[in-house]
Amino acid sequence: MIVLQLVVNGVLLGGTYILLAQGLNLVFGVMGIVNLAHGSIITFVGVFTYWLVTQTNLNPLLLMPLVFVVALVIGGVLQRLLLEPLAKLGSRRELLSLMVTFGLSYVIVEMAINLFGSQYVSLPNLQETWTFAGLAINEALVVAGVLGAVISGCLHVWLHHTASGKALLATSQNATGAVTCGIDVRRMRGISFAIGSALAAIAGVLLILILPLSAPTADTLTILAFVIVALGGLGDYKGAVYAGLLLGLVQSGVGYYLGGDVEVIVPYLLLIGFMVLRPQGLGQAAR
Amino acid sequence: MNLPARQVGQWIERRLSAPATAGVSGPRPLSIAILVALIGCAGIVPLVTSAYFLQLATDLLTFAALAYSWNVISGCTGYLSFGQVSFFGIGAYATAALVMHTAVPWYVDAVIGAAIGGVSAALLGTIMLRLRGIMFALGMLGLARILMVVFSNWDFIGGAAGLTLPAQLTPVAVYLAMWVAALAAFGLNYFLLRSQWGLSVIGVRDEEVAAAAIGVPTSWAKTVAFIMSALAPAAVGGLVAWNRSFIDPPSAFDPTLDLQVIVFALFGGIGTLWGPALGTVILVIVGEQFWAYLPELQLALYGVLVIAVVLAFPGGIVGVANRFGWLRRRPVAAPAVFPIVSRPPHPAPPGSDTIIEVRDLTVRFGGLVALNNISLAVRRGEMVSIIGANGAGKTTLFNAITGFVKPSEGGVFYLGKSVSDIPSHRRAHQGIARTFQIPRLMESLTVWENTLLAARHGRRKDTAVEQAAWALHTVKLDNLWLEPPGKLSPGQQRRLEMARALALEPTVILLDEVMAGMTRDEQGEIREVLRHFRDLGVAAVAGVEHIIAAIADISDRMIVLDRGKKIAEGVPEAVLRDPVVIESYLGKVS
Repeated sequence: MIVLQLVVNGVLLGGTYILLAQGLNLVFGVMGIVNLAHGSIITFVGVFTYWLVTQTNLNPLLLMPLVFVVALVIGGVLQRLLLEPLAKLGSRRELLSLMVTFGLSYVIVEMAINLFGSQYVSLPNLQETWTFAGLAINEALVVAGVLGAVISGCLHVWLHHTASGKALLATSQNATGAVTCGIDVRRMRGISFAIGSALAAIAGVLLILILPLSAPTADTLTILAFVIVALGGLGDYKGAVYAGLLLGLVQSGVGYYLGGDVEVIVPYLLLIGFMVLRPQGLGQAAR
Repeated sequence: MNLPARQVGQWIERRLSAPATAGVSGPRPLSIAILVALIGCAGIVPLVTSAYFLQLATDLLTFAALAYSWNVISGCTGYLSFGQVSFFGIGAYATAALVMHTAVPWYVDAVIGAAIGGVSAALLGTIMLRLRGIMFALGMLGLARILMVVFSNWDFIGGAAGLTLPAQLTPVAVYLAMWVAALAAFGLNYFLLRSQWGLSVIGVRDEEVAAAAIGVPTSWAKTVAFIMSALAPAAVGGLVAWNRSFIDPPSAFDPTLDLQVIVFALFGGIGTLWGPALGTVILVIVGEQFWAYLPELQLALYGVLVIAVVLAFPGGIVGVANRFGWLRRRPVAAPAVFPIVSRPPHPAPPGSDTIIEVRDLTVRFGGLVALNNISLAVRRGEMVSIIGANGAGKTTLFNAITGFVKPSEGGVFYLGKSVSDIPSHRRAHQGIARTFQIPRLMESLTVWENTLLAARHGRRKDTAVEQAAWALHTVKLDNLWLEPPGKLSPGQQRRLEMARALALEPTVILLDEVMAGMTRDEQGEIREVLRHFRDLGVAAVAGVEHIIAAIADISDRMIVLDRGKKIAEGVPEAVLRDPVVIESYLGKVS
């Protein structure tokens, strides 16, 4: 019974993780860079949501469309101003893009700390626990898990069944080839960063309903997201789904049997261990 | 004595700049003496003025030591680390434990702390250095977190509550010790950026695969650099712990320390000798004034600064200075003029014994069979060309012979012995040299240093210089010896790759796509070098896709590959008339 409970928790946690990772994955897939500011967008939006909801009593889920649009615009602008100038730098681009997003993450985190404080906060909207056939199921995890699945589903439909999505996918698979097909690769990079930021923002709204967040935990989330993306095979968004589920399951099991401290470092251990043993990621292994 | 400011400026400029056209090298006693005197004066000031200056100078030296150490692994070696604070923490705890449980003097503790840092880097390096690029960067960040959790749960050194040390060092002692740490870290940078050995880590940074192919023991070079990058942070960590007389996991493994160090090194210029010092001095002194007014914005402003520097002047201050000809890196071990090559080429060993033998070699990548049961042999001094369309398996064959790809079945024998278990760089030492399909040259090094790096193995410094000069002279690149490879034409880049291969003093050189993309003139120059190989007794195996005419008449033998299989072998005239070969290239005639 305990095992089944852990599996259920793990799958639902995995859904949350997928949500967390898809934005980072999209940016990596198209731009080839890891957005180290990813986690800071999540925590910024999270603590902002907390602040706004406690001030106005809004339903946080209603905030999502607004946050999505705002993050989309800001993400697009940031990409054009900060990252696009580096696109033509060739071999130094990777290092310098990392540096820029590294700097950006500190700017966003410190902004959040100065505006909203650095304490852990959480919204109590989804704290019910349902009991079903002897299994305790946390409402917040269900919502996040379902939304993680829905957003991955939307991403899938968008990437495979719309013209703009296909253009984006083409750019991520082969940028030079995409140019020769008349795709504006520069625009695609902007779109990917904008949507990546918007996905991070949505994850922020949802996570604040599930977990206590604080602004300084941003890089923990970045690493968590990166571990999932790396495990799934960088840029492979289906692989990220498996990796999110795997991490959720491992963490839920480790947390129960070995305690919270070990649970916290599971992502790092998985990152280092997996990268040494299987640098090509999970997705490749399945093929 | 009248020295107008302009004259002084010009004099300093002459002293600091290295003319790009001449390889002036060797120590310049006057500049070094002046530098030492300046540093000495600056070092005494804090001791005779106020406690405030002493603290400021101590902070400055602490960050300089950390920035220089970060520069060793991330700047010189190219492994971007977001977790060098791991070694700061390890050193802090090691020193703290020594202070608690032993009674040795503090400076002995600091040295042992540094040594423990170095040993832990050697151990952790065996895992961490297998990661590359972003994986290494975030892996190091993760490592710092893992260590924080481990130390929080280790009651022997205080657990999460931290450890209070019984005694405190005097500020003067800490200040002087930080001088030692900072100078040591600077010395390591000097060694990596100015010595022949240092070329190895720069080679790893620019082109890790090519570095292994020209005999650089890449794992060893990376590990040594990683250990070097851990020494000063571990010592500094111990001194800081002792200075504060308290240590706990969050302060020992504080990730914002890495942010500051990276900002300083980036601002001054990553991978340069003077960048970390300039960045640290300027930002610590400016910051000191600034943070007093805006303490809560310090990290945010550092973040803005990182972005601004990357976008405006990614090379940092040194990068800007370079544009004016100041602070240029001088080529390593380059004599004032190109050395006259006086010695005769290596005597060609007589005989026509088999040097390379490939037996029943199969290489699979997943389901794809790249090489299917290939057998071939190359004799001493022979010129063999391997022709085949794109995807025929030429590069995989070369990779298998040089050890970059593991055979699925079969083996490679060199001078009668299997080389299956020998890593790439040792195969290069033994005499198997190669070039690459797309030239892989170390972009930040000169033509000269690219060749010298290959010539270094097993030679004394002066004979290495002689060997490099001979190799460059052989391919006729003497007049371009101080240019960066980026300024060479495609044909010259190929010849530089050949010079690097020749500098190894090989018995066989594998040339991947030797003629691709060359103009007719360039083809002629390369043919000349290939003919010269024969006089040197060096066998050449040249992979060719379609410029067959330019290679057929100088080949002794030709081997044709088609989709991983050997379909023909023999003298060029016969092979080129073989219907199977014609069909493979032109399709079946119906």
